[in-house]
Amino acid sequence: MSGNDLNGLRDANQKLDAGFAGIVSRIQVPRGAGRMVLLLVITFAFFAIMNPRVFLNPVNLQNIGVAAPEIGLIGLAMMLAMLTGGIDLSIVAIANVSAITVSSLYTAISVGAGAQTAESLSGLIILAGVVMGALLGAVNGVLISVVGITPILTTLGTMQLFNGLALVWTGGLTISGAPSALQMVGKATVIGIPVLFLILLIVAVLLAIVVDRTPIGRKIQLQGANPVAARYSGISARRTLMLTYIISGLLGGIAGLVFLSRNPSASADYGSSYVLLAIVIAVLGGTNPNGGFATVTGVVLATLTLQVVSSGFTALRLSAYEYAIAQGVLLIAVMVFDQLRFRRRRRASPGSSSETVAIATAKRGKDGTRP
Amino acid sequence: MQILRRLRGANNEGVLLAVIIVVIVLMSIASPAFFTPGTFFSLARSSLVPLVFALGVLLIMISGGIDVSFPAIAIFAAYTTVAWSSEASFDPSIVGVFAIAIVIGALWGLLNGVVIARFRLPTLIVTLGTQGIIKGILLTYIGSTYISAAKLPDSVAEAGDTHLLDVPGAGYLHGMLVPVVMIVVVIWWMLKYTTFGRSIFAIGGDAEAARRVGIKVVRTQVILYVLVGALAAFGGVIFVILGKNANPQTLVGTELDIIAAVVLGGASIFGGRGSVFGTVLGVVLVQLINNNLVLIGVPSTWQRAAVGMLLIVGVSIQALAAMRSRRQPVLVEEEVSKA
Repeated sequence: MSGNDLNGLRDANQKLDAGFAGIVSRIQVPRGAGRMVLLLVITFAFFAIMNPRVFLNPVNLQNIGVAAPEIGLIGLAMMLAMLTGGIDLSIVAIANVSAITVSSLYTAISVGAGAQTAESLSGLIILAGVVMGALLGAVNGVLISVVGITPILTTLGTMQLFNGLALVWTGGLTISGAPSALQMVGKATVIGIPVLFLILLIVAVLLAIVVDRTPIGRKIQLQGANPVAARYSGISARRTLMLTYIISGLLGGIAGLVFLSRNPSASADYGSSYVLLAIVIAVLGGTNPNGGFATVTGVVLATLTLQVVSSGFTALRLSAYEYAIAQGVLLIAVMVFDQLRFRRRRRASPGSSSETVAIATAKRGKDGTRP
Repeated sequence: MQILRRLRGANNEGVLLAVIIVVIVLMSIASPAFFTPGTFFSLARSSLVPLVFALGVLLIMISGGIDVSFPAIAIFAAYTTVAWSSEASFDPSIVGVFAIAIVIGALWGLLNGVVIARFRLPTLIVTLGTQGIIKGILLTYIGSTYISAAKLPDSVAEAGDTHLLDVPGAGYLHGMLVPVVMIVVVIWWMLKYTTFGRSIFAIGGDAEAARRVGIKVVRTQVILYVLVGALAAFGGVIFVILGKNANPQTLVGTELDIIAAVVLGGASIFGGRGSVFGTVLGVVLVQLINNNLVLIGVPSTWQRAAVGMLLIVGVSIQALAAMRSRRQPVLVEEEVSKA
């Protein structure tokens, strides 16, 4: 008898689960992945037709694959923060600090104990870089979840702080030196595909599994979609946010390693335009800046699209400035398009709050507005 | 405690003023070279441009938005005006330069305002987009070459050399202080005593409530962005005047630093709260640290870290205070038990 009951419950549960997954996928696909596939195909076809000789050259395609990962990883970190209704402005600073950590550890060990020892310890050194990223992410996490500072303010401050500490550490100079293993990874290809690009794909798949298939991923999504509901479901906002920003910092740390593998030098100001670019990528990829909805696939496709546009512009001999215009127009056009399409739905429900989450309930009027 | 609370001011201006005084005292003790007219003249000079930008950021922030396009608007307007005037070898006089730049800035502000208010899009994302568009158009179609002091219109070069007050051996107070102080007073007056100013606060506090009491939200927002565009252009021209050159590659990238100064000045990033006085103090504090750390023996590489630390401590105190005063979890439980 009890076995039957249990089976019935399990069935009901599975049905519910499938129903929920169906709803989620129906909401998410048009916002992110589906649209981006179309956009990617269109832009790719456009540049392939405009200048096939340069654009379809394998070297050019490989360059897209080598340039995409660092910004893609930062975009994914941004997406994760936005998924909880936050934002991470400090992510590029984190990536730089972790690159500087690896570079200066490597240099210090090679000077102290010889290059051979440094090479043999390169696994540990690389690990130290990733751990540094996670640690700095934890600093953000503590400030956001324990102290209760709004994510945008926290990361605005830590961006300055981490970047400032990186300046102090390097004395404002570019430091060079990195384990040769990293450089090998940066140059290696597997059947013509750059290994760096494969790393981006692997990280993206892992992140997608975490977000879509694990309890913590569900908690992150619910936290962003409806913090009040998350609270009443017994989800600890503190732990969820903490983990979100640690994972985000971890992704930043990996991005820092990618910086180093492309070019064995690190500085505090590398990729200063990446913060805003990462926001562009996350939003283009269908991430709702107010939290709750985002797809890893969408972000990866958005990264590729922007990279295709960038290299396509180069193939057509257009300047980086014209690329900046295209980026801006693309961003605003997609937002306006979204808005017109979702207008009715948006009007029905006021934008969900985006800041310190559970606290927003009490004083809705004052603090529950859009960032 | 009571007196302290009253002195603190609505947006912690009192705390900020105290911090500035402490910093000044500490710096004076640490270095005899600090407490001289020269230090304060250069402090005033370096605060001018950030202050004008900060006022724009403040207005947008009070209305509940974030603007990152203002440095692009500023350099676009100033560079375009100067480049046109030197190309046509026509000097529209300093008032003319300001007027042309302000019109250009206001037009870009209009674009921001229309897109944001008409489609109700997140301000950060829209201005991020327009920043790219404005910078791209400037460098692609207007020009990407540096205009040196010799090629600047005479009136602009002249304005760069006006001194309000000359102290031999110690430096001078720059003439551009006058228009900036005037703008500060005008914005303060506008926010405090005009319907438009109060509407901005209302919209930032709660846009829906503002709409229901009869404020034309869309129109106010559009006018606000036009005004802020004009303000950015004004700051851009002053930047060119002070620097005695026009370089289209500058300014863009400084937006987050200005926003940090405004946040430090007590403005709420969610709108409805903020003051001109606090903003002035925030900008002055950041410039004080940036200018004088070297003087007291701290390497200049520490500037950014120091400002970052200050910002984190500042917002932490605010967040902890807000958390204590809200006692939110208890409230929710009460609501539940009532229901």
